Amino acid sequence: MSGMSSWRVIRLVAGREIAVRVRERSFLISSALSLVLIAGVTLLPLLMNSDDGLAVVAATDQRGAQVAESAARGPAGDQRIEVRRLTAEEARRSLAAQDVEAAVSARGITFQESPGDELVARLQEAHRRLAVADALGAAGLGPRQAQAALSPEPLSIVVVEPQDPQADARAGMAFIAVLVLYVQLLTFGFFVASGVVEEKASRVVELLLAAVKPRDLLAGKLLGIGALGLAQLVVIAGVGLAAASASGRLDIDSDVLYAIGLAGVWFILGYAFYASLFACAGALVPRQEELQSVTTPLTLMILIAFFLAFGVLQDPDGTLARVSAFIPPLAPMTLPPRIALGEATAVEVIGGVLVTLAAIAALVPLAARIYSGALLGTRTRVKLRDAWQGSRR
Amino acid sequence: MLELRQLTRRFGDLTALDGVSFSVAPGEICGFVGRNGAGKTTAMRIVLGLLEPHAGDVRWNGAPVDGTARRRFGYMPEERGLYPKMRVLSHLTYLARLHGMDKPAADRAAQAWVERLGVAERGEDRIEQLSLGNQQRVQLGAALVHDPQMLILDEPFSGLDPIGVDALAAVIRARAAEGVPVLFSSHQLELVERICQSVAIIDGGRIIAAGPVAQLRALEQRRPLVRVAVDGDAAAERLARLPGVAERERSGGRSVLALDEGVDSDAVLDAARRIGSVTHFELVRPTLAEIFREVVPG
Repeated sequence: MSGMSSWRVIRLVAGREIAVRVRERSFLISSALSLVLIAGVTLLPLLMNSDDGLAVVAATDQRGAQVAESAARGPAGDQRIEVRRLTAEEARRSLAAQDVEAAVSARGITFQESPGDELVARLQEAHRRLAVADALGAAGLGPRQAQAALSPEPLSIVVVEPQDPQADARAGMAFIAVLVLYVQLLTFGFFVASGVVEEKASRVVELLLAAVKPRDLLAGKLLGIGALGLAQLVVIAGVGLAAASASGRLDIDSDVLYAIGLAGVWFILGYAFYASLFACAGALVPRQEELQSVTTPLTLMILIAFFLAFGVLQDPDGTLARVSAFIPPLAPMTLPPRIALGEATAVEVIGGVLVTLAAIAALVPLAARIYSGALLGTRTRVKLRDAWQGSRR
Repeated sequence: MLELRQLTRRFGDLTALDGVSFSVAPGEICGFVGRNGAGKTTAMRIVLGLLEPHAGDVRWNGAPVDGTARRRFGYMPEERGLYPKMRVLSHLTYLARLHGMDKPAADRAAQAWVERLGVAERGEDRIEQLSLGNQQRVQLGAALVHDPQMLILDEPFSGLDPIGVDALAAVIRARAAEGVPVLFSSHQLELVERICQSVAIIDGGRIIAAGPVAQLRALEQRRPLVRVAVDGDAAAERLARLPGVAERERSGGRSVLALDEGVDSDAVLDAARRIGSVTHFELVRPTLAEIFREVVPG
């Protein structure tokens, strides 16, 4: 067969994988779960923090109103303060109904259950300011002098090593990227393995191999399922970005898109590496029930890479992060967070990609050999050594 | 013209094929006969490139068979199997395209075959929704959909009901009539005898007889067979011990005797009469089953 017709076969096989799988329940469920997960991870903090933006404070007497209004005018923190004039009785009911967070009067601040730290600090600060102003007035200072004494020129602030104002958001992005990579590699690796087993268990493989080379069958399968995985990743990224920008926690700038592009590239690299191994694992067993036992080493390896990636998130410039970038089974998960956090040098990024590519280039022919050597063993589990020696030969 | 030439294949210490040679001419239907484990499937897999031979080769129209030639072969594996979740028509189309047909031609061929095989109304069903009989039909469609120039069918009749057998036999004959060589394995010898012009008998990885069915019969005709019915087991027993004959089978007082070369059937009839009352005596044309029993050591 010429190269042209090999490519034709690969396209046909890949096309079938995509056409059949997009209708499969397992794929639809995994897609829906991923989307819910990503939307949840992105939006959950927003939902939990949604009350923090505004605190309604009841003022039940003149002094209380002065304190609350002064606090509301004072330096704004994360909270805005809204003041409501209420009678003591109304305030009590509103507190119980959680319509207001606190009630302020000359006697003090009342909370229903737990006092909010920031609110307490700002009300106390306002109270202190008013008390000092009163004392200064009593000591004979005019209102203007008292004001000047209370509001000195603020000290200037110099930051020697300014932190990225979006550092937290970036860490969040990196965390989500690691999570998504983990789920995608595992899910689509498993799709490959079970797809291979399906062909063996149904015996259709013998019919296929009478028409096409095992290498082309493998290539088509990897390509089709991989394309599907990448497409799903793009949709997930789109939903994640939409959710993140809706939450207002992240500006979508070129850095963010760069991080997402990297995740895509590393999905391709990680998938090429792991999916070839998953295909071999699938080729060794005759039934779906036996798949678990042969894929365990692979899922473990991905799990280890996943945990190490958390180590990298904690310490993106540590030894673990630097070394694992050059270890092919780990790099697809440990290098992206380091890149996303802006710690990876160009040399590392290019080096990590090249090492992984080299590993893939070495692995794929081996995988193809084991795959084609094991495919026709449809009755019992094939030993790795026998597969290597090849049932055809 | 398909030629198997001195094919040898081992699995570990086991020699599955040992110098297997025979050929199938255009338009010829060749029955591949042998016991389980004799090497039929191994030989077919080698023809299809699923296995490599350790020695010998396969030639197609005078040249070594290659991938391009094999894509025009139609194959029905002994272990049947299709994608359970695929729909009948799209499955057949897919296989036709894998064999090199373009999309429109593959669509047309798939449609034509579901109609011809009587599963047209099942075209949009998933394979797993079909009855076993209908799955068999689609399996046959899978072997034929790409208009193969050579048919290789491994036990195609096994599991078929009598109507299915007739339908399949008709399809095989029709393909052969168009000049396609057909090689099929079977252990149902009456079937092989009914459909085939030639047979290849394999045992223990060796071809022990191969050629046109008529020629094999003639070979066997040197030891003519007679079927004799006599009264009683004792008489049958004495019949079997007559000089110049060998008993092939006996059931219900009827014996089939093979006569040694030069033994006259009239003399056997006379001898039988002397033993007892003869109720039936006929010269029989050996069936393939009898030839098979003759050439394959028990």
